Parts: sequence; C-alpha cells; structure tokens
Amino acid sequence: MLRREQRKKRYYSIGFVLPCLVLALFVLIPFLGPSYKTLDLALKIIIFASLVASFDIMLGYTGILSFGHGMFFGIGAYCVAFLNGKYGDPTYFHLFLGLLLAVAVACVLALIVSLISLRVKAIFFAMITLALAELTIVLANKLSHFTGGEDGISISLPGIFSAAFSPGSFLGLDISGRVITYYFILLACLGLFALMLRFTHSPLGRVLQAIRDNTDRAEALGYKTFYFQTLSIVLGCTVAAMTGGLYAMWVGYVNPESTLEVMAIMLNVLLMVIIGGMGTLYGGIVGAAFLLITQTFLPDLQKLAIDLFPNASLLHTILERWLLLFGILFILVVIFFPKGVVGSAREFIARARGEAFFSS
Amino acid sequence: MTETILKRWDNELVIAGIAVLLLLPLFGMPPKTYLTLTIAGLAMGMLLFLVASGVSIILGLMDVLNFAHGALFAWGAYVGFSTFKLLEKWVQADSVLLNFGAFAAAIICAMTVVAVLGMVLERVIVRRVYGNHLFQILITFGATIVLVEMIRVIWGPNDDVMSVPLTFQGNWDVFDVIIDRYRIICILIGALVFGAVQLILKKTKLGLIVRAGVENRDMVQAMGHNIFLLFTGVFAVGAGLAALGGLAMSIFSLQVYPDMGSTYLLFAFIVVIIGGLGSVTGSLVGALIVGLSYNYVAYLVPWAAAGVNIIIMIIILLIRPKGLFTAGK
Amino acid sequence: MNDAVLKADNLQTYIGHHHILQGISFEARADAVTVLIGRNGAGKSTTLKTLMGLLPPSEGVIVYNGMNIQGKRPYEIARMGIGYVPEDMGIFADLTVEENFKVAKLKEDEATAGRLDRILELFGALGKFWHAPAGNLSGGQKQMLAIGRAMVNNISLLLIDEPSKGLAPIIVEALIEAINQIKEECVVVLVEQNFYMASAVGDYFHILDDGRIVHSGRMEALVDDEELKSRYLGISKSKS
Repeated sequence: MLRREQRKKRYYSIGFVLPCLVLALFVLIPFLGPSYKTLDLALKIIIFASLVASFDIMLGYTGILSFGHGMFFGIGAYCVAFLNGKYGDPTYFHLFLGLLLAVAVACVLALIVSLISLRVKAIFFAMITLALAELTIVLANKLSHFTGGEDGISISLPGIFSAAFSPGSFLGLDISGRVITYYFILLACLGLFALMLRFTHSPLGRVLQAIRDNTDRAEALGYKTFYFQTLSIVLGCTVAAMTGGLYAMWVGYVNPESTLEVMAIMLNVLLMVIIGGMGTLYGGIVGAAFLLITQTFLPDLQKLAIDLFPNASLLHTILERWLLLFGILFILVVIFFPKGVVGSAREFIARARGEAFFSS
Repeated sequence: MTETILKRWDNELVIAGIAVLLLLPLFGMPPKTYLTLTIAGLAMGMLLFLVASGVSIILGLMDVLNFAHGALFAWGAYVGFSTFKLLEKWVQADSVLLNFGAFAAAIICAMTVVAVLGMVLERVIVRRVYGNHLFQILITFGATIVLVEMIRVIWGPNDDVMSVPLTFQGNWDVFDVIIDRYRIICILIGALVFGAVQLILKKTKLGLIVRAGVENRDMVQAMGHNIFLLFTGVFAVGAGLAALGGLAMSIFSLQVYPDMGSTYLLFAFIVVIIGGLGSVTGSLVGALIVGLSYNYVAYLVPWAAAGVNIIIMIIILLIRPKGLFTAGK
Repeated sequence: MNDAVLKADNLQTYIGHHHILQGISFEARADAVTVLIGRNGAGKSTTLKTLMGLLPPSEGVIVYNGMNIQGKRPYEIARMGIGYVPEDMGIFADLTVEENFKVAKLKEDEATAGRLDRILELFGALGKFWHAPAGNLSGGQKQMLAIGRAMVNNISLLLIDEPSKGLAPIIVEALIEAINQIKEECVVVLVEQNFYMASAVGDYFHILDDGRIVHSGRMEALVDDEELKSRYLGISKSKS
C-alpha cells in the first residue's frame, strides 16, 4: 500500500515529470521546427547531453576527472566512419559493426588507462588522460592514410538512414532519412541514458558514491575501490564512444579537425557538466542545451550588440571572445554553485518542501 | 644488506641508470651529431624544468594540480614579447650588453607580472577549494580558459613572431660540433635556477619549512607557521618560474601564440610524473630525460618522437609508480 | 589548585558527514597530566586535532589561558604556546634531526637554545643522530624527536597523541620517565591506549566513548575500578 502511494507520488514529482516533458519536446521537434538548423541543434543537444552524462558517471559519481573523454568520443566517431565510409557500400551490418567496434575499442583502452593510472593517485588519471588525448591527436594526423588525414572520411549510411531515403510524409512531416536518423539517435541516446540512470541508482552506483566521498573509508569497509572505479571508467568511456559513433552518423563526416578537436569537445563537456550540475546526470541536458543554444545564437547576439552599441569596442572584443565569459561563468559556478543548475534546483525544491525528496 | 645499499644509494642508482640509457643512442649516430642533439636536448630539458618545477612544488606542498600553469607560461612569453617590442632597439643592437639588457628586462617584467598573477590566482580562486582535488583541477582549468582568452583580448588571437636578440642568434663551431648559442644560454639559465632553488630549499629556514610542508602540511601549521602565506609565496614563485620558462621557450621556438601553454603543460605533467611529485631534483632529471629522449628519437625515428615521452612515462609508472624521486610521502 | 589551563566545552566535530565528537567537555589543570583514554575510534585523536585547530568544530568553546581559541588557525594556536605531537609523530623524514628542530623553532634566542640543550640532555639519542635524516631514526627516537621538537618553543601546554604506540616496553619505560620530567615544565594532555603508560604518568583521566566523555576522575580511582576498565577499555582482570 505504502509503496504504491510512494510510487504514485513519484510519478507526480518534478523529478519525473520534467524529464518526460523534455523527452516529449525532443520527440516533437521535427514536427515543430522545419528548419534544418533547429533539428541539428536539437540533435546535438541530445548527443552532448548523453556524452556529458557519461562524463558525469566518472566525475560526479566516482570523483574521477578525465581529460580523455573527447578522445573516446572521437574514437567512437572514427570507428563508425571507418566501417561506413572507407570500405565499400555500407549495410546495416556495417553500421552495427561500427558501433560495436567503438564499444570494444573504448572498453579496452579505458581498461588500459585505468590500469596504468589508478595505481597511484586519482589525480594521475587527469594527467595521463590528457597526455593520451594529445597523443591520439598526433597519431590521427600522422597516420593520415588510415584516418583520411586532414581530408577526413565521408560517411554514407545504409537504407532508411541514407539522405536519399524518402517514403512520404506523416502528419505534415516529410519523413526522410534525416528524420529517421534523428529518431534513431534519440532512441539510442534514451537507451544509453536509461542505462546510466539504472547504473547510478543500483547498489553499485551507491558504492561508487561512497568511494567518491571517502576512499579510505570505503576501502576500510572492504570494497576494492580499484575495481569499482575501473568499472565506472569503462562504462563512462564506452558510452562516450557510442555517442561519438552516433554523432558521426548524424554529421556524415569525420576529420581530425572537427571530430578529433578533442580538447574543444572536452572543454564543452566540462562547461556543460559544471553548469548543469555534477552528480545529477540530468545536468547534462541542461548544460548541453544552455551551451549549444548560446553558441548557436552567439553570432546574432554579437550582431545585436554591434547594432545597439556601435561604439563600445571593448564589448565587441569581449563578445567575440565568448569563451572568456564562459570561463568566468565556469569559475563562478564552481565556487558558488558547485552543484550546478540541477543540483541547486533540487536543493532549493527540497528545502522549499522541507524534505529531501530527491535522495540520490 | 644488499637491500639497504640499494635503498641508501637509490637516487644515485637511478641517475646512473638513466645516464647509461641516454648514452645508448651513440650506437645509432655519429658522435658529433650526438653532441649537437645532446645540447639541444639539454636546452629543451632545462626549459621544461622551469615549467615543471613549479607544477611539482605546488603539487607537493599544496596538493594542488595547477592546470593554469600552462596559461601562466604563455603569459610570461607574451609579457616578454611586449617588453622586447618596447626595447626593440636594444634587441636589434649588435651589442652583447644591450641584448642582455633587453633579455634581463624581459625576464624581470615577465616574472613580476606573472608572479603577481599567480598570487591573485591563489588568493582569489584556488584558496577557496583547498582540500578538494577535483574542484582544484576544475577551477584552475577554468582559470586557464580565462587567462588564455585574456591573452587573445589583449594581444590578439593570432600567432606572433618572437624576436631574438641579435647576438643570441647564430652558432658556435667547436671542433666541427655545431652549437646553437641560445641553447647554451637556456642551459645556463636552467642550471642557475636549479642551483638557486636547491640552495634556498636546503640552506634557508624558509626552504626547510617548504620541504617540511611537502612532507606534512598539518605538522608545519601546528608548529606555528602560517601555511597560507607560504602557499601564496610558493604559488607566486612557481608562476614566476613558469613565466621564465615561457619567455625562454618563445625565444627558442621564435613564436608566441595564445594556446602555447597547453603543449608545454602536458610536457610538464609528464616530467612531474616521471620525476616524482614535489621533488625539484626529480623535476630536473625528468625534464632532462624528456628533452634528451625527444631529440634523440626525433633524429633516429622521426615519427615516434611525439609518443616517446608518453611511453617513457607509462614505463616509469609501471615500474616505479611514485616517480623516480620521491619527496616525503 | 583549580586553575584550568585549558577548558573545552561541548566540542562537536564532524569529519565529512560523520559526527565524531558529540559534545566533549573537559579541563586540563595546571601542574598535572590529563589523560584521554578510550577505544579506537572513540574520538581521542579528533579531540586533540580539534583543540589544535586542525579540525574545525561546528560547535563548542575552547578556552586556553583565559582566551577563547576556538576558530583560530592552527599556527595561531601554536604560537600561543601549545605544542602538538600527532599520532603519526609528524616527523619530516627527508630533513635531518637538526633541520627538524630548525623548522620547529619559532625564535632564535638564548632561551630557545637553552631549552634545546635541556631537550638533548633528556633525549640523548637525538644528539647522536643530529645530522642524520630523521627518517632513519628508530621508532622510539622518532617519538623523542617529535616530543622534543614540540618543546623547543616556550610552551605551556603539550598535547601528545599516543606516544607509546608501536614501541617496545623498554622504550615506553623511558618515555614515561621523560614525560614525568616534562610535566614539571608544562601542562600535558595525553591521549593513550596503553593503560600501563596512562596510569604511570596521568593525574586525571577522561574516558571517551563514541565521541562523548563517559567518565572522569583522578587516575588513582581508575586504577582500582576494574568494572570501568573492562567496560570501556577492554581490560579484563588479569587472572594470573
């Protein structure tokens, strides 16, 4: 009886309703916004939200900072690109194999990195992943006959995903390969997100949080922290590679410049996770939406500023260097709102209700 | 018995082993090339030491992994760049004295400006998150973004050509071995800084307190020393050394660019991991290993040069997880 | 005789989310050794760290020589004349014995030099290894260095955390003698699990259990109270 009551209460809670509304929005977007720009933005938010969530598994839930997450994203993208761009006509099998390859490579690499770096100190992980990420960029450029060099690799997708596929329209929406790809990626990311939610709410996830809060204590309780940390790293990196593969499907093109600009991706992911809120998973959606929407409309904002204040050249310079503003925002959030938007909002609601309604 | 000997002569054994390894490339090249490469490697190593020593001491004493060190490095280069612009006549003059005057002025300006920047960074930002590793890294990472973007706002987003004092250019030819003049200057600067830092750490009370703090911060506090003042001071010195490294490196590579810090920060991390956290000697040895092996490998197997340091780092992590030299903990 | 050098009132300290000290109140009287005893995890070391300012209490007052020192930084507290010997002794292993003393000295005056002479008289071994790295000392010598280092400044209160831990009985004997001499010069608060040592040097005792003080009194009374000892200290009546 009580359980049912509780469950009922949960369905009405903001923590349940809000994500559902967000999901509904993403489902409806192809119907609402016919422009490619909107669809592209929505999809990038979906992919980055998943990527940030996978980063959050490591950072927020395990307390491990990686600078190689961009690298795993890039690896995933390349794996899909190889099998669907380089070798013959792509089939569904190629696509599946590409994603599988992304998972496998990420798994193995994540395992190796954890084995090397976790032996000493968790901060080594940050340094070593940074080093490896740089090495990967160099390698990708050096092995140009393999990675397509600066020209990159174009991807063609099989069957219903291909841009040429066009079976007709549904409720006023032109069903095209693009739209199908959009829904496919949305579904895949939803699956990944559900997997990560399940993981963090499982007993395993709770052990990870215990390790994050007090490694020595967790060790004293008999947990082999090393295994748990490795597990979390492997999961996080694998999901990152998956999202990379999905991203490659969408943009249809990878090259070291864009996909392996891992530091830029890393920077975005960090900004997103901090602004959205560490250790919340949902923070990724907020952070990704905020950052990507701002970045998309920044040129308009700059134009607006020039129109409104034609003489304030300092303002123009600073707006041109939008990253400066994000950097300052980043520092301020870390100092004053270390829980980010989602964490702070949860705290606020919990306090307003006088109860900890979100216990994770 | 053998175990105690191994332990007592631990550091000496490590140095001997490294020396033997670094002689190996002699088999693959003519001795004269080896000498030229060795000087290039030593110069690069000394510049890396300037950056890495700051990272290492800050990490050892304060347990702060300072990601902003790379940005401070770039700031040093840019302040030096501006100083050279102001003193252009001195830089272009065919006079050793005036050239060194400009160089000294650039060093003083770069180190002062960046040391102050470092102090502000420590006081305003880093101090708020002492004791939380994750937030320290995150916040210094945020500081990096801001500092690099500030360079872009002040000096513009593009690369610039760094001028080299006239008499610093060119080579000496000693018995057919070609020796780049500026490399010798770099080696001298590095040796000088290493000597000065060692002297301070070993012979002054302040240095002793810093070394004691690397081992046990709480105890130093409980003995009546204001550790926060010490932190600020060490942060400022570390920043100053990074600035010196940045300036020297920009003259070496003939250019300045806003992002230049990130590459060398990575080198610095590798050096710190190889050398051992908190050890200045370790930083020097680590930096020389990285500098030398990079140059040898770049000559012998050019395509492997970029990866060799990371490979060395991984090997050392596997056999000696705490680095070659351990300070205290 | 009721002038307390140190008075702690209702100390509450958290480490992370864990409520370690749940209201510790006690006094350290002048000319006496006060011993805090109790099982592992009872909060003894945490109490000393809280007194020293190394852990900030969320509540409570610490009065030392009539001044409230709660909320002051560790170095300010140390400069008011409180010496601290932590559980792990806090030796600077890379530094020589001499350098360890150098770091400890807050002043370089004659009084300090005189105190150093007396310390070296008390702990003769330290003079022998004056230029050796402190990390090479034996356990007992390290403990002596830690205590000597704390006493090189003009202190009126010495906090020592489990000095007998891991030491051979004969060295514990020497330590007891040393502490009995030290207490002539300053007030000592000692954390000790070794009941033999506690009873040999202590004048007053406080038993800690789960972050609270459960019993206090004169040491003589505790020595005879078998029931108390077995309940809180796990010392059963020896049958032999």
